[in-house]
Order: sequence, then C-alpha cells, then structure tokens
Amino acid sequence: MQPTRARTAVYYLILWLVAIFFFLPVFWILMASFKTPNDILAVPPKFIFQPTLSNILDMLSRPNTVPYFINSLYLSITSVSLAIVVSFLAAYALSRYKFRATNFLMFLILSTRMVPAAAFVVPIFQMFNAFQWRNQFGVLMLYTMFSIPFSLWILKGFIDGVSTRYDETGFVNGASRLHVMFRVVLPQVRPGLIAAFIFNLIFVWNEFLLNFILGGPGTQMIPYALAVGLVSAGGNIDWAFVASLSTGYVLLPTVMIFLFQKYLLVGMTFGTVRGEV
Amino acid sequence: MSTVNIAQQGEQAIARSRRSPLRAFEESRFFPLALLLPILFFFVALNVIPTIWMIGMSFYSYSLMSPAPPSFIAIDNYVKIYNDADLWSAFSRTFVFVVLAVGIETVLGVLLGFLFWGSSHMPGRRLALTLLFVPMVVTPVASGLFWRLIYEPTFGVANYFVQLLTGSKIDFLTNVNWAFGAVLFVDIWMWTPFMILMTLAALGSVPKAELEAAEVDRLSIWQRLWHVIWPHGKFILMLGVLLRTIDAYKTTDLVFLMTNGGPGNITELIGLKLYRYAFASLNIGFSSALAVILLLIAISFTSIYLWVLNLRRYREGA
Repeated sequence: MQPTRARTAVYYLILWLVAIFFFLPVFWILMASFKTPNDILAVPPKFIFQPTLSNILDMLSRPNTVPYFINSLYLSITSVSLAIVVSFLAAYALSRYKFRATNFLMFLILSTRMVPAAAFVVPIFQMFNAFQWRNQFGVLMLYTMFSIPFSLWILKGFIDGVSTRYDETGFVNGASRLHVMFRVVLPQVRPGLIAAFIFNLIFVWNEFLLNFILGGPGTQMIPYALAVGLVSAGGNIDWAFVASLSTGYVLLPTVMIFLFQKYLLVGMTFGTVRGEV
Repeated sequence: MSTVNIAQQGEQAIARSRRSPLRAFEESRFFPLALLLPILFFFVALNVIPTIWMIGMSFYSYSLMSPAPPSFIAIDNYVKIYNDADLWSAFSRTFVFVVLAVGIETVLGVLLGFLFWGSSHMPGRRLALTLLFVPMVVTPVASGLFWRLIYEPTFGVANYFVQLLTGSKIDFLTNVNWAFGAVLFVDIWMWTPFMILMTLAALGSVPKAELEAAEVDRLSIWQRLWHVIWPHGKFILMLGVLLRTIDAYKTTDLVFLMTNGGPGNITELIGLKLYRYAFASLNIGFSSALAVILLLIAISFTSIYLWVLNLRRYREGA
C-alpha cells in the first residue's frame, strides 16, 4: 500500500510534535528569560506575556557575567585546540607504526573518560594544591587531558581509514614524514578534526564538577556561575538571572548541533561509532 | 633549460633534503616516540601519577579534618567500605537508578528511533532533530535548574497541570515518595534522545540490499526485525546501552543541583556520596579507597564496551 500524502503529513506532524515535546522544558526557561520577575513567579504560570529584555540586560550588566563567558570560551577553545594537536601527532604514530601496546594504551586512555569525575578529582585536587596549579594554567592542562581521549579515538579511527598508499606515494616522491603527515594525511581527516573539535568544545563548555572544585576567579565558567550565583540576596533563587544566563549558555551547544548535525553520532560515542543520522 | 637539467636539480634537492638533520630524525626510530611524547606527558602527569597517588592514599588513614599525620593502615579503608551500610545503600540506589534510567531510555529510544526511521525527507528535519537532541547537550547543571523551575511547588508549571488534574500539588523534589522518580524522569528526558540517535545509527547500519530483499520476499515485520535488522543493528544498540550505563553510573551534577541527595538520602547516588566524603568530610584516605573501587567499576565497563566494539569490527568488518 502506497502511503498517501495525508498519511505522510500526519506522520511528519507526529515527529515534529515529539521533537517539540523534548524541547519544551528548554523552551520554558528561554521564555522565562523574557518575562519580568513577577511574571516568572505568577500563579497560575503565564503562557502569554509582555516580553522584556530587562533580565538579559541586567545579567550582562553584572560585573562577573562577561568574565564567565570569556572564561568558558577561552578555556574550551584553547584546551580543545591543544588536545587536538597532541592527539593528531599520537594518532598518526599509533596508526602508522605498529606498537605492540597500541590497543592497551587506547583502552587505558578511553577508560579515563569513563571514570566519575568525583573519583579522580581527589588526587588532582591535592596535586594542584601542592604545585599551586589551581589557576588558569592548571585547569587548562586538565581540560586538555579531558579532551584527549575522545580526540585520540576519533582521529585514530579516521587516520586508519586513510590508506598507507598515500604515505608511500609521498615518500617515493621525496616527501618527508612531516610533509606526509600535515599535507597528505591531515587534509583527508578534516571531518574527524571538526567532530573532535565541536564535541570536545561542548563537553568542556558543559563541565562543572572539576571547575567547581579546582577553579578560581580566572577559571570559573558558566555552569559554575549557574550553580553558585543562583541565590539572590533574599535567599531565594534569582530565577530571572538563572533564566537569562541559561539562555546565553544554551545558545552555543544548540547552534553547534544544528550546524554540525552530521557529526553528532561520532561526537556522542567518543568516536567509536561512525555514520550519519 | 632542458628537462634533464630540471630533473637533475630536483634529484639534488631531494638528496640535499634527505641529508638534513630534521630528515634524519624523521627517519630514525625515535621519531614515533617523539610523536607520542606530548600525549604521554599529559597522560602520565594528569592520570597515571594521580591514580598511583590515589591508590597509595587508599591504604592510609588521612583526614584533613584531624591534625594527625597520615598513618599506614593497610586495607582498613576497604574493610570500612565493606562494612559501611550507608555506602551499600548508595550503591544499590545507584544500581536501581541506572537500571531504571537505562531500561526506560532504551525502550523509549528504540520505539521513537523506529518512528524517526522514515523521516529522511521530512521538511525541516534538521531543525526538528536539533530540538530533539538539545536535552543531551545541555549541561546537567542547567537542566537540573530548568527542572527545579518546572517542579517548583508554588509557581512551577508541572504543578499547575498536576493541580488541574488532581486538585492538589506535589512538592516533587522534597517529597520522599516523588524525589527519586522526579530525578529519574529528568535523566530520561535528557538521554532518551541519545538512545533515539543510537537506534537510528543501528538501523542505518543494516545493509539496504538486505532490507530490499526482505521487502521482495514479503517477510512479516517480526521476521524482518529478527532476521534482518537485529543481526546488524544489535552491536550499535548494545554500544549505546553500555555508554548510557557508564554515564548514568557517573551521575553527580544533576542530583547535586536538583536535590543535593535529599530528601534524607533518597537521591544520594554514589558519585555524590564520594564527593561528600572527599570535600565535605575531607576524609582523603577513605574517599581514595572508594574512588579506587569506582575506578575499577569504570574500567570493567570500558572493557565490556571495547569487547562489543571489537566483536562488531570482527563480524561486520566495520
């Protein structure tokens, strides 16, 4: 039986409703950021209201808001870029030179990302105190390590997919090893680089516990601000502030998964499953 | 200039570059090690050393609250963990949380994944999928807060509907009967989209030719599921379930923000428990021992995950 147009339309409508249903809780907080504080606390909840920009302007005018955003952007972009450079070098070596311990090393590095953050934050905390690393440098190093397992896994997967014949052709024509790495192999793994960059960016952007425990004024990011800055002077949660900060914060991951949707699968599985949805 | 000349010059240039020290280094056996050096630096400095330190500390009685210096007590911390009824209940709570969360997410995710299977020509598909996948890329801190606003007893929107339906309100996050379910519900909201994603990937890994053959042979829907889709799709689905299991077992931020373990300790999962021992009671020795145990659990999950991954490579050549 051929599906009629009407049936297809109903089918698509159902899919859209499912998608919107999952988005509703986020939408609710986005709406709250355009409500006056009184409208947020209104009983019964207001579904239709006069939108205002005053919450967002108030959030931006607070002295710490802009630094939080700058910290978030700076720490995530720098640490992820560093992690990708480090991982690319290692991924090439592990892919092209056959070390006996390769699989074991890959396993160990992946398992570091599977441990609850609370488990290894204790020794890191002591170590950072001892070395006085609880500053931007220390947190940057930590986030680089945090981004390495996934970058390594995804880049090794992609480099394994580039035939060694390309390398050999390069060598025959007199190219050096570094030339082959950066001019022959690198351009062919660009999707892997993009996926690793985008998804590690989101993961670091979202990280909270390490930031909360190890962070100082130079390293506090938006999730920290959300968790700590949410209580207003009266002891109640300052929902207008939380809502507008969340709106600003949600923007980056949302735009990223819209623009880079075809990397979502590889991104959410640490590079172990490839394909498109 | 003749071609012969150019060729000669080219060969000379190649020969010259082959003699350069950089070139010699690139061809030496130290070069691959040099490529691995940066990653090994990070791995050793920020993983191996802290882990060894942690294992060491787990054999000491060492608290930042007491002035006594660390003293070696062998496996006493582990014995204490074994005898700690409170910890066992946190473990069993986490187990219930993981089983329920991953179970429900898998069932819902597979059903919705099948629903989304035929959507490749849907108008605005990219935007719809973005809306669908947003919950899993929002930090648990933020989603915990979103849901606190929704669950709020006086002006929360959930209670508005609850009151419309039942006439009374429920204080979801502080009521002993509801808090666990309320947190579980948020986890299901966050991660069902992930299982939809994995189901779509699993369905995508079924070869088109086999699906068409099943169509031609007029196989029933159950026969198709069992003989065509399951043999190919099961690997990715299992990987999804395992990744979710690992992640659900780590859940800390969400409960920290939503309930802080309460009311009582109804929502105190093992990650939060460890955090409390380490940073509220500052008991370094004991919490290190607990961390070692969590580390071992994480490593065994990772081994299972890689085992399934290799099984798939072996069977499917993917």
